[in-house]
Amino acid sequence: MNERILVVDDDPALSEMLGIVLRSEGFDPAFCPDGAKAVDAFRTEKPDLVLLDVMLPGKDGIAVCRELRSESGTPVIMLTARSDTLDVVGGLEAGADDYVVKPFNPKELVARIRARLRPGKSSGDIVRIGDLVLDVAGHEVRRGEERISLTPLEFELLLALASRPEQVFTREMLLEQVWGYQYKADTRLVNVHVQRLRAKIEEDPDNPRLVLTVRGIGYRAGS
Amino acid sequence: MPPWLDPRLWPERLARLWRSSLQLRTILATVVLSAAAALAVGIAIDVSVGNSLFDARRDQLLTLSANATIAGQRVFDSTSGAGTDFDLTLQDAVSTIVTAAATTSDGTSYAIQLLGQPSGAGVPPNSSTTGLDVDEVVSDELREAVAEETTDLVHWQSVAIPRPDGTTAPGIVTASPLTIQGSHYALYLVYDISDTQDTLSVVQLALGLAGLALVLLIGAITWIVLRLVVGPVQRAAATSRRLAAGELDVRLPVKGDDVLATLARSFNGMAESLRGQITQLAELSTVQQRFVSDVSHELRTPLTTIRLAADVLADRAGDFSPETARTVELLHTQVERFEGLLADLLEMSRFDAGAVEMEIEPVNVARLAENAIAQMSALAEQKGSELVLIASGGFVEAELDGRRIRRILTNLIGNAIDHGEGRPIEIWVDSDADAVAIAVRDYGVGIKAEDLDRVFDRFWRADPSRQRTTGGSGLGLAISLEDAALHGGWLEAWSAPGEGSAFRLTLPRRQGGRFIASPLGLPPEREDDER
Repeated sequence: MNERILVVDDDPALSEMLGIVLRSEGFDPAFCPDGAKAVDAFRTEKPDLVLLDVMLPGKDGIAVCRELRSESGTPVIMLTARSDTLDVVGGLEAGADDYVVKPFNPKELVARIRARLRPGKSSGDIVRIGDLVLDVAGHEVRRGEERISLTPLEFELLLALASRPEQVFTREMLLEQVWGYQYKADTRLVNVHVQRLRAKIEEDPDNPRLVLTVRGIGYRAGS
Repeated sequence: MPPWLDPRLWPERLARLWRSSLQLRTILATVVLSAAAALAVGIAIDVSVGNSLFDARRDQLLTLSANATIAGQRVFDSTSGAGTDFDLTLQDAVSTIVTAAATTSDGTSYAIQLLGQPSGAGVPPNSSTTGLDVDEVVSDELREAVAEETTDLVHWQSVAIPRPDGTTAPGIVTASPLTIQGSHYALYLVYDISDTQDTLSVVQLALGLAGLALVLLIGAITWIVLRLVVGPVQRAAATSRRLAAGELDVRLPVKGDDVLATLARSFNGMAESLRGQITQLAELSTVQQRFVSDVSHELRTPLTTIRLAADVLADRAGDFSPETARTVELLHTQVERFEGLLADLLEMSRFDAGAVEMEIEPVNVARLAENAIAQMSALAEQKGSELVLIASGGFVEAELDGRRIRRILTNLIGNAIDHGEGRPIEIWVDSDADAVAIAVRDYGVGIKAEDLDRVFDRFWRADPSRQRTTGGSGLGLAISLEDAALHGGWLEAWSAPGEGSAFRLTLPRRQGGRFIASPLGLPPEREDDER
């Protein structure tokens, strides 16, 4: 079955063009031109990934993203016209996994979509980090009996760190391993998602013990 | 201990107070000058009053002395005869003289002394008031003057009369000739004039007090006048400071119709005009930024559609006739070029609007250079240039906006590839305590000296006839220069025709830090010991 992708964009020409590109790459696109209806469309279409424009009529993309995140971990890629802090960091903090800046080329977009849709490389069954247990096959994280809900991206980020606890990861390494980027170093992606991950798994996010910052280099897993 | 208690700091504090306080300077100058004037007037009055008092007193005493001398002489004359009891005569004469010479104050002493040789036997001995040391109070000049005096003229001199307690009192000694039984005598009368001195002291005290009061009064008046004048000026100064600090709504109170009110009105007018201009500029800037942002969004959405369409067409170029395929290819490359141009234009307009934000993070410059080289290596390979990293330093954290510095670096490397004639391109990295530097050196044709100053100009192209491959917008170096300036750094160019060119970027290690020199030379060269 082809993966379904929900395109939330108010520009009909761009939506149609995106549809052509996605279909030619073997995806099954669905469309929603209105921010206020995006969440309803998400519920009915049940997409595998959402392409979300930031500037939308009805409700802006950042608010839509926040609502989607509150009920699902489905990958969200923001389409933004601006690369400045306001749009990008705002989208990432609202829970978007990644972003592409308009104008983008189809290869770039498809690469981003595939990076988010590819199944996690299951290299083991159970990985432990601190008092957390990661079930790689089941994409589940538990602390004792309690199940912690992570988005696929957050799970992969945690898994990358946890599977090589002795390794210090630079932001560039994480960008390559988790996001599939080469040479593109928007480290804001890593920074924002590490913060989101910490907020979910750390008992005291201000005093992290599981995902540690190595000043000036990057991150590593806590013991 | 509070600083003001430390005496060592007082001179400095006083000096600062002196420099900073107009009131202090004015009041001090006024007080010092008026005190000098009062002192001069006081001294003049004192001298003049003293002289008058002394002259009057002296004239009075001379008259008294003359009268006493005549009275005494008369007593001696009336009893001149042999066989007279001279002691009685002397007593009689002395009491007459003393009575005649007595002033209101007590303490008049007398002395009768023989002048020259006695003229016969039975000459009366010298006589004086008990306790009066004649030689001490009568000078030789006075003695000689009276000895040579043939008329009744009374001579005088000022003396200091010793008192029993060791102090001295001001006095006048008068001397007049007496003839007793044919012999010449001098009659000395010693007057204590300390009462005159007392009168003078009272006058001096009154003068001093009056002078002091006058000086204090002038000081107080100066202070009040200064407060009236300087107070509003100080308020105006404080208000200007607040205005300069950004409080655009502060105004000065306007009272009356004097020069200070005019100052206040002009100030308020200036403040009003400033506020108007600043508000207008702020609005313009907001409008400009919103415009840039809107254009950005509005242009980018259709451009994205065009871009996607061109790419889809380009992917299917094989299905088209050669002419259509070429058309699609042109469309594709030119859309990309247009996209780059638009991005650079928007970035430039953001700089012009002052609407740029830096995202400072600790960046390892050498690693950033490695990264940029990896990104550009494919393009370099196409042109046959090898990218060589020469990092003798730079493996340190610097506080930079990594995205901007990477953009500068890829731009410099791209230019070097364009103009590098396929020869190797060196990327130098080094650092010192204050700065990090990256230099990109190519060995291509170089830039003419007269063009070197213009390479950072917008839309300036080194050689319009040259074929360009990277399709830059012509804004790359201008943006790089703005990015470098944003970091407080330098971007400099060097070139020699035939030898290639070098661009050196120097940035402070810490945000807002300063540096004096770049860790790298321009063009960068190996130090001798490393060769």
